[in-house]
Amino acid sequence: MHVDNLPAGGAAPPGTDTGPAGPPPVVTARGVTKAYGRTRALAGVDLAVRAGEVLGLVGHNGAGKSTLMRVLAGLEPCDTGTVLVHGRQASAGDFRTVRMAYQETSLCPDLTVAENMWVSSRHCLPRVRWRRAASDAVRRRLDEMFPGHGVSPRDRVEDLSLSRRQMVEIARACLVDRLDLLILDEPTESLGPDAARSLYAYVRRLTEAGTAVLLISHRIREVLSVADRVAVLRDGAVTAERPASGLTEPDVLGLMGAHVAAPPTFGAPTAAGTIARDTVAELLGATGPGLREVTLRVGKGEVVGLAGLAGQGQQEVLERLWRPVRRDTTVGVSRAYVPGDRQRSGVLPLWSVGDNLIVTALRGIARRGLRRPAEERAVVADWVKRLSIRGGAEAGITELSGGNQQKVIVARAFASPAGLVLLDDPFRGVDVHTKTDLYGLIRQEAAKGRSVVWYSSENAEMAHCDRVYVFRAGRVVAELTGEEISEERIIGVSFAEKGEDD
Amino acid sequence: MAQLLAPALPGRARMRRSAPAAVSTVALIVMIGVCSSLQPGVLTVEGLTLVLSATVPLVIAAQAQMTLMAVGDIDLGIGNFVGLVTVVSATLLVSSPLKGVLVLAGLVAAYAVLGLLIHLRQVPALIATLGASFVWLGLGLFLLPTPGGTTPGWLASFGAWQPAGLPAPLVPLVVVALLVYLLSARSALGVRMRGLGSNPVALRRAGLRPVASRVAAYATAGVLGVLSGLVLASQTGGGDVSSASSYTLMTVAAVILGGGSFAGGTAVPWGAAVGGVTLGLVSVVLSLLDVRSDMQSAVQGVIVLAVLAGRVVVGKVLR
Repeated sequence: MHVDNLPAGGAAPPGTDTGPAGPPPVVTARGVTKAYGRTRALAGVDLAVRAGEVLGLVGHNGAGKSTLMRVLAGLEPCDTGTVLVHGRQASAGDFRTVRMAYQETSLCPDLTVAENMWVSSRHCLPRVRWRRAASDAVRRRLDEMFPGHGVSPRDRVEDLSLSRRQMVEIARACLVDRLDLLILDEPTESLGPDAARSLYAYVRRLTEAGTAVLLISHRIREVLSVADRVAVLRDGAVTAERPASGLTEPDVLGLMGAHVAAPPTFGAPTAAGTIARDTVAELLGATGPGLREVTLRVGKGEVVGLAGLAGQGQQEVLERLWRPVRRDTTVGVSRAYVPGDRQRSGVLPLWSVGDNLIVTALRGIARRGLRRPAEERAVVADWVKRLSIRGGAEAGITELSGGNQQKVIVARAFASPAGLVLLDDPFRGVDVHTKTDLYGLIRQEAAKGRSVVWYSSENAEMAHCDRVYVFRAGRVVAELTGEEISEERIIGVSFAEKGEDD
Repeated sequence: MAQLLAPALPGRARMRRSAPAAVSTVALIVMIGVCSSLQPGVLTVEGLTLVLSATVPLVIAAQAQMTLMAVGDIDLGIGNFVGLVTVVSATLLVSSPLKGVLVLAGLVAAYAVLGLLIHLRQVPALIATLGASFVWLGLGLFLLPTPGGTTPGWLASFGAWQPAGLPAPLVPLVVVALLVYLLSARSALGVRMRGLGSNPVALRRAGLRPVASRVAAYATAGVLGVLSGLVLASQTGGGDVSSASSYTLMTVAAVILGGGSFAGGTAVPWGAAVGGVTLGLVSVVLSLLDVRSDMQSAVQGVIVLAVLAGRVVVGKVLR
């Protein structure tokens, strides 16, 4: 099966301009602009991706990254300017060697893994017995990319965990007879560190064989460690292109136009995290699917972090606290939940921002079962202002960018009268600004006596917590407080048993 | 370790998915048991033929409904459509067979056009098919204002066919379910149809045209609707446009009983067959139990609700 072939090296046809900068560009954008209605997503982008390099693309949410990727992958035509593939004006068929792995995945959840491969790679599969061919190809590719992935080609995608779905999505993008450019959109947001490492090892093998890789990520350190060059996108234009070596994270943040986040200045976590607080919720030796002998308590006004590698029992703890049906869990206050998968379980897509925001607080505001629109509007207006949600209360929720949608989801939880707010890794794929706003919000609300339980896959975020429980294989392996909480420490504890630090 | 776990996980998931059909199957077996205890003749070939024959057109119509539910649509016109087909086969198909066949082919094409319009104009299928149902009804009344007519000889002899040692209705039930299974679960076209119900964006990104998938699904539903109408006409020996009006909602119930969902994305040909037979048997059981005919609908509804509740409970247990 030819889907398994690694791309041919230096796959450029003769006669393209081999610039002075070495390898020829695979895909070039020249003066590309694109507008949706009145919003201008791209304002003249010039960018070249060369064969055999990893180009990192960074920028805030709304800088135009997704639009640029769609244009480069040939999914959308640009308004003005040109996109060249191998130096030629590209027509629709030329983009077949440009493949993209989407952050939110473009898999059909009801189909099996193999069937999904047929959907996207059917050109490279035989017409008869394609199911067998697709299964073999995807299994081999997954083995190659993510050893020990645990995905069977006959699994339905909806039964896979988020990180496995991401693996399948990336394998899907790579499954083609000839791959010139691979676009990875936030590939590691749902992958664990091991899988991320395997992915980047594979990326390096791809580039050695002459494929170009365009990597989009919010994790700037990761981009710097993997990419050969970094391009910064800002307000719909490439404002800087630098070699990655010698560049540091603050440099890049500066280029992106961040007023670089002074690390948490707002009401830093109370150093004495062990102040005697009233307990609002606790687990005593909770055991069950994915949990073993977990004991933890949450005090009033406390921000408790759940850290560790992805999928070690943190979400199960949130689930227990959300629905305390077992005897080993006691929760004394009302709760609000912020889901991580906002596409699936977060927003009410037909409703406006205001309606989405107020839905949990409705009952608290209503009097004798009747809504009070004036008060609701006031609450909504207050939150929209506090979190500077773009578009205002009247905008449709789906018109907002991902980051702003996430603000609404978080505001919804805090607008409710709940005494305990559960955060299920809500800041994945959210830009630095939004995150900073939301971290501030969490601390403010905690200061008012709200308790927060916060699971995050990003260890750096745990610095905003008063106390952190580190999970491994369904157990709490460490409890860190105040000054002890640091990324290095958390990583150290998470990996301790394996005797290796990241 | 993950490698070892992998085969164990999908097993559970698959079990959860086939649970609804399993619950329906249990209900089906229980009902056959009740029937045979009341009327021992039921378990003979003749008895089963008698009991099952009424369910055949319903099950074929349920396959049509299932095909549309797999792409995320719903067909509220299938009942009248089947009725219209019985009318065509009792009138045109007898008087001028060629014209009759052309009209039936035209009806399939009309279904395809309906799918095209639904896709291009972004009309909800619910509304478009409901509107179409009145068109089918009107056409049927125009062709044959009062029930009657005769079916062509070949259709009548199919209706009277009695293979030895095998209840005749099982043959069309299994053959149609097998064909729909091959189309929806095993073929590339089936992947496209289920993909449309599951995630149309992914289809578009992969360069597949969702409109083609939808039109194919509607054409398939049209063919199955015509088949269902022919079988029904072969059993009743005449045409009546309102003879199948109850099918519209019964088929939806059959698909749900068989494990389908309104959200689309899943094809359950075997489930739909089991669900349809289960629903069809309910009325047989009720008549054997001497339930008053004016109460039958209500009791039938309660039984359907009970089976659906069983499906939910089993789904929870297996989660």
